[in-house]
Amino acid sequence: MKVGILSFQGSFLDHSKSIHELGYESLLIKQSKDLTSVDALILPGGESTAMKKINQFSNILTDVDQLIKDGIPTLTTCAGTILLAKEVIDGEVTIPNIDIEVTRNAYGRQTESFEGSVKFFENEDIYCFIRAPKISKILSDTVNVIAQHNDEIVGVAQKNVVSLTFHPELNNDEYYLNWLNDFIKEGQNVRSF
Amino acid sequence: MKIESTNKVKKGLAEMLKGGVIMDVVNAEQAKIAEKAGAVAVMALERIPADIRADGGVARMSSVGVIQEVMDSVSIPVMAKARIGHFVEAQILDSLGIDFIDESEVLTPADEVNHINKQNFKAPFVCGATGLGEATRRIAEGASMIRTKGEAGTGNVVEAVRHMRTITNELNEVIACDENELVALSKKFRAPLNVLEEIKEQNKLPVVNFAAGGIATPADAALMMQLGCDGVFVGSGIFKSGDPAERAEAIVIATTNYNDPKVLSEVSKDLGEPMVGINIDTLSEEEKLAKRGW
Repeated sequence: MKVGILSFQGSFLDHSKSIHELGYESLLIKQSKDLTSVDALILPGGESTAMKKINQFSNILTDVDQLIKDGIPTLTTCAGTILLAKEVIDGEVTIPNIDIEVTRNAYGRQTESFEGSVKFFENEDIYCFIRAPKISKILSDTVNVIAQHNDEIVGVAQKNVVSLTFHPELNNDEYYLNWLNDFIKEGQNVRSF
Repeated sequence: MKIESTNKVKKGLAEMLKGGVIMDVVNAEQAKIAEKAGAVAVMALERIPADIRADGGVARMSSVGVIQEVMDSVSIPVMAKARIGHFVEAQILDSLGIDFIDESEVLTPADEVNHINKQNFKAPFVCGATGLGEATRRIAEGASMIRTKGEAGTGNVVEAVRHMRTITNELNEVIACDENELVALSKKFRAPLNVLEEIKEQNKLPVVNFAAGGIATPADAALMMQLGCDGVFVGSGIFKSGDPAERAEAIVIATTNYNDPKVLSEVSKDLGEPMVGINIDTLSEEEKLAKRGW
């Protein structure tokens, strides 16, 4: 199994570590030529404005978009979630693949970043939210809520895409890694909230 | 449950900046150019290091007006510098809600013995280092990110290279050592033992390490990335050059594609005049900013 991780900038090496812990190969994707034969995709956290700019040079998000539409299992965290959202408040829509509206920097600046309890499927743990976006609206009945922080929706799934606003890759806890393993192998979500 | 400003959250922001370029800006207009060019963060300053160097005198924290103007103009994180040991400047920056504080040797030091106790602040700190001892002392004081000092405002990358190589070599010595040698290495590098233990456990520096001080071209940025740093700061190199927007963008692309000479040659074409550099040999010892910090 090969997992492609969009590696323009951001926490791509942390995701790569998660993939290695599962015993899979990770490919750091920077240009289209890196995209051959991946079985799953991860779009990491970072700065979405920088990622969009870097993409103007390599233009690989067009190919990433196609792979997602072809049904490849895709996980996004934080900035990666902004790239895939259908609507973006205080930012631009990039490759809409999940029917949600996100609001950038919705909690405020870094001083408002926090560690908070998250119910991720049936498990509860503490995860980092770093200048995180909020999933401010769900725009389709086919979007399932899979993670909540208090009453806030912080993770959703739709078809082959799972989008989170927090950073499980900074924890790499057993529950997350087990879920990730199933997600990559099965090509879809196998748990219920 | 919700806790703000934990060490993990502070280090986490630095993780998100990895592979990116942080640019010095002096006003909203430059900040917008930097954001548009793909900067992952900007450093809000009243004067860029090349001008601080030229003007002489005491260099202090930038005016609150300049910092707020920059904070209001962009959606990416904004950093600002406090003088070494000047914890009140840091308190002011913290109260403004700044995203990162740089306790910087580019400004005139305010304390010749102590650095700021960085644990006391909501904002994370980045600090300069010339070797592993300095880096680990700053980490023990609570720094969430390290950068090489290089020699700011010179457009000369030689010192950043020296500092990066020194940190890497010393780091490798710690990683390769027998655990019984850690106490001796702690003395040798003047490095806090607990941080060395952390390095030994993780086989790497426990925080992100960027390159800074003298980076002026896409090739300089890629050089520092190939030497193993996690990202780059570009200070005077952008807004002292002929075409700042284009150069900023080229350095961003070069930092991502640092291992691809084809991309590097493509973005290095038609860039206009780089900033005029300074030979380090022509600087007197007092003029070297990297000597500041203890």
